Amino acid sequence: MREEIISTKNEAMAQIMEADSSSELEELRISYLGRSGKLTSQIKRLKEIPQDVRKEMGLLINDSKNSIEKALAEQKNRIGEAAREWFDPTMPGIGPKKGHLHLVTQAIEEISRTFAQIGFVRVRYPEVEWDWFAFESLNMPKGHPARDVWETFFVDAPIHPKYGQIALTPHTSSGQVREMNRVKTPPIRMINIAKCYRRQIDASHVPMFHQFEGLVIDKGISIAHLKGTLDYFARNFFGPQRKTRLRPSHFQFTEPSFEVDITCGICKGAGCKVCKSGWLELGGAGMVHPTVFKNGGIDPSKYSGFAFGWGVERTFMMKSGLEIPDIRLLYSSDLGFLKQF
Amino acid sequence: MDIKVSDIWLRDYLKTRATVNDVAKYLSLCGPSVEKVEEGNVYSIEVTTNRVDTASIYGIAREAAAILPQFGIKARLQPVKLPTLNFVDKVKYVSASINHSLCSRFTAVLIRNVSLKDSPNWMKERLSAVGVRPINNVVDISNYIMHELGQPVHTFDYDKILKGKMVLRESRKGERLTTLDGKTHTLPGGDIVIEDGKGKLIDLAGIMGGQNSAVDEKTKNVLLFVQTYNPVNIRTTSMSLAQRTEAAVLFEKGLDPELVTLGIGRGIELFVKLTNGRPESQILDIYPAPYKAKKVEINTDFITERLGVELRKDKITQILRSLGFETYWKGKALEILIPSYRAEDISIPEDIVEEVARLYGYHNLPSILMEGALPEPLKDTPFRFEEKIKNVLKGFGGIEVYTFSLVAEEEAPTGLKLKNPLGKESEYLRTSLSPSLVMAARQNAGEKEPFHLFEMANVYIARKGDLPNEKMMLGGIFANTSYREAKGVVEGFINELNVKSEMFSDDGAHYLPNRHIYIKVKGRILGEFGELSQGHLYYEFDVEALRAFSKEIGSFRPSPKYPAQIEDVTLTFAARTKIGEVIDFVLSKEKLVSRMELTDIYKDSYTFRLWYQHPTKTLGNKEVEEIRKRILAGIKEKFGGIVKS
Repeated sequence: MREEIISTKNEAMAQIMEADSSSELEELRISYLGRSGKLTSQIKRLKEIPQDVRKEMGLLINDSKNSIEKALAEQKNRIGEAAREWFDPTMPGIGPKKGHLHLVTQAIEEISRTFAQIGFVRVRYPEVEWDWFAFESLNMPKGHPARDVWETFFVDAPIHPKYGQIALTPHTSSGQVREMNRVKTPPIRMINIAKCYRRQIDASHVPMFHQFEGLVIDKGISIAHLKGTLDYFARNFFGPQRKTRLRPSHFQFTEPSFEVDITCGICKGAGCKVCKSGWLELGGAGMVHPTVFKNGGIDPSKYSGFAFGWGVERTFMMKSGLEIPDIRLLYSSDLGFLKQF
Repeated sequence: MDIKVSDIWLRDYLKTRATVNDVAKYLSLCGPSVEKVEEGNVYSIEVTTNRVDTASIYGIAREAAAILPQFGIKARLQPVKLPTLNFVDKVKYVSASINHSLCSRFTAVLIRNVSLKDSPNWMKERLSAVGVRPINNVVDISNYIMHELGQPVHTFDYDKILKGKMVLRESRKGERLTTLDGKTHTLPGGDIVIEDGKGKLIDLAGIMGGQNSAVDEKTKNVLLFVQTYNPVNIRTTSMSLAQRTEAAVLFEKGLDPELVTLGIGRGIELFVKLTNGRPESQILDIYPAPYKAKKVEINTDFITERLGVELRKDKITQILRSLGFETYWKGKALEILIPSYRAEDISIPEDIVEEVARLYGYHNLPSILMEGALPEPLKDTPFRFEEKIKNVLKGFGGIEVYTFSLVAEEEAPTGLKLKNPLGKESEYLRTSLSPSLVMAARQNAGEKEPFHLFEMANVYIARKGDLPNEKMMLGGIFANTSYREAKGVVEGFINELNVKSEMFSDDGAHYLPNRHIYIKVKGRILGEFGELSQGHLYYEFDVEALRAFSKEIGSFRPSPKYPAQIEDVTLTFAARTKIGEVIDFVLSKEKLVSRMELTDIYKDSYTFRLWYQHPTKTLGNKEVEEIRKRILAGIKEKFGGIVKS
């Protein structure tokens, strides 16, 4: 049988060398390696031969088969380009229809994920809210000059004897007392993300935008914990090298109050053309004011806490380094813009 | 409020070798924020509403003198040098009757024989640097003192105040007064005003002087006037008359009555120097309740707990003293006396924590994450479901938009109205997403390719005597898309959410007749789909209703063991046949048809693909033929459809 195998192989090799078209090569492939090809029928006969030589013959056939396949491929490459079956692999693909999530959605998802990792519970509170929750319970009585910062829309509706006017929430801080009312007994680790409204419109302000508010209340909560939380957020959201710092500020509902800065992503805090000082302003924060605790039904002699509330759009743009010259673009429905993200 | 402080002026009171950059940097870290340093070394500083004591050159100097040494830079506050002042509660040249609840301190002094002229250059330059236009020496002195000390000062032409008599009182509603800028105001009532001996109003106190008593080029004798007014009255008047003068912005934050001493002293000194005026030796000073130092108590444990780090007692003492507080220790307890200029801001131990912490430096505090128990997670929150919806639609090629919730009246006729809208086109809170999405689609009218925009947002449904119902809605709009393609997206979306729903065609408001479908589960409407009267294919869903009927994971059904026989059948139907009903009919009648799809339409011919399948055996050709016969007979009888020959 050995001679037979070797001669079949030699015969095949000779014929392959002489072939000059791919159809001829295909015929040769079938006549040797096809279902009833010469080599295939030899494989079938293997089981008829004695056990002691079967393995050797098997290996020999396999070897021949490999040689023939290799020769077929080589010859195929050798015969001219014209004789090949034409195929253009450079043709562009047909893409699937691509959808897009809005930048604000992407930002909200990422912010909630980051805070969820350290045990913050996401909540949702009214976007159209009583004055009591938006201002009064936050230590801002009617007519207080501190209210000026929040250019607030009010709803033309009767005034509630206890809760006052109806306002479009100018900040997510209106969820603080709501959350205290809900939880009653700390610990609280809240993240409240919502639409906010203010009476202003220009390249860097829109009347509707989004904020996220963090609130932590427990026994023994200190400024160090606020710093820890902000640094955690900065590292995980903005990148491992980023750091935050606190500067003095003033809000009626926190004492002390802070402005939070983050090191510039470009110069890493050294100072450059974009940031000037090495720092960029993130937003406000502070230790919860005892009056707010009282209004939320929590005893400030037992518990302390901190809060922060920042713009979703601004925070996300600072992360991504996107330079969107006019924030109003975010709220336009221009496909050319939306499809970029 | 933002103030401007020129460095050269600052150094009259701040004795230090710190550079301009040092001052800017360290003030920002521990005190008022220096937003930028402008040309000519002018600091632009943001002063928060609680720190009106720093809204001046002198106030910033006092703050910097406390802060810079924390960074190892020597600095000292140079106190204001004053002439000898003789305060008395009655004088001959003016008699005043004061309502003390409106004015906690009232001072005035007559300065005779002033000569009006240009101010000297150094004063003009300093005023210009902080954004004040120099006018003449008398006006400039007032402005100079206000910027230097943060204390507004007023000057009357003494000879225009009849009988040298003044009555400071609340205005009555409807009284009229013309201010220096020529504007005539009809007063709302409750405003602080001063009338002269003839009952004529001569001053809208704390906001702007009256025209009838103003200093002019003929003025010989000036009444220099320095007061502390009730901040609430000032703010109310200033807001309701929209007269937001610098004086009003200062007074409304509650000024320190002790500052009046510096104000009138500086005034006398400058008038002598710049106008050659001769001040009366006695100064009228009506100050019935002089400042008594306020006390706040605190102990070191409280400070340690809030800071997260323990500070030594001597460090706490040093910080508080540098800020002008007096400190008295009893063991761990500390009694603190608050200086008059901080009395409005400091009342509780938390306020002291802020002072200690900011001067110690927030950057020097440790940064650690909380320990302790985690809060209970909220059950049944909508957030994951909402995220899933958005991702499903994105997967189907949807493009998410965010549009404004504020719309015009005709777009939300039952919606809540704003009291103070920005304009007519954003006066109402929307009750449906469709007007906004129609606008969004129109904004892209130039686009020739198919597109699908969607938005998820609250709509606000008014409720009587309560906040509106905030309903989370999902809306989507298609352009350049056929009815079947759009409906396919809606169907695919519902399937992806595992909502077992049914569709009912029925006319809907705002939709073209016959082109509207409700999506229902057990009689409850989850949403709708159809062609809007404006011509767009649109869908809207109640997200909470969808969530109520959506299964997170589809139910398990074993895959069929026996293969289906698949065949295409083409039928012709008369016009106005509802093909959806034909398919529903077959699927509900014939249990052995596991699936039926419309694969092609040509004129009145509809090609369906049918899957014949038995749960426990492979169907033979004969059995399939029987089923097919039954189906075709049924379709012919009910819908008049016949097999295309």
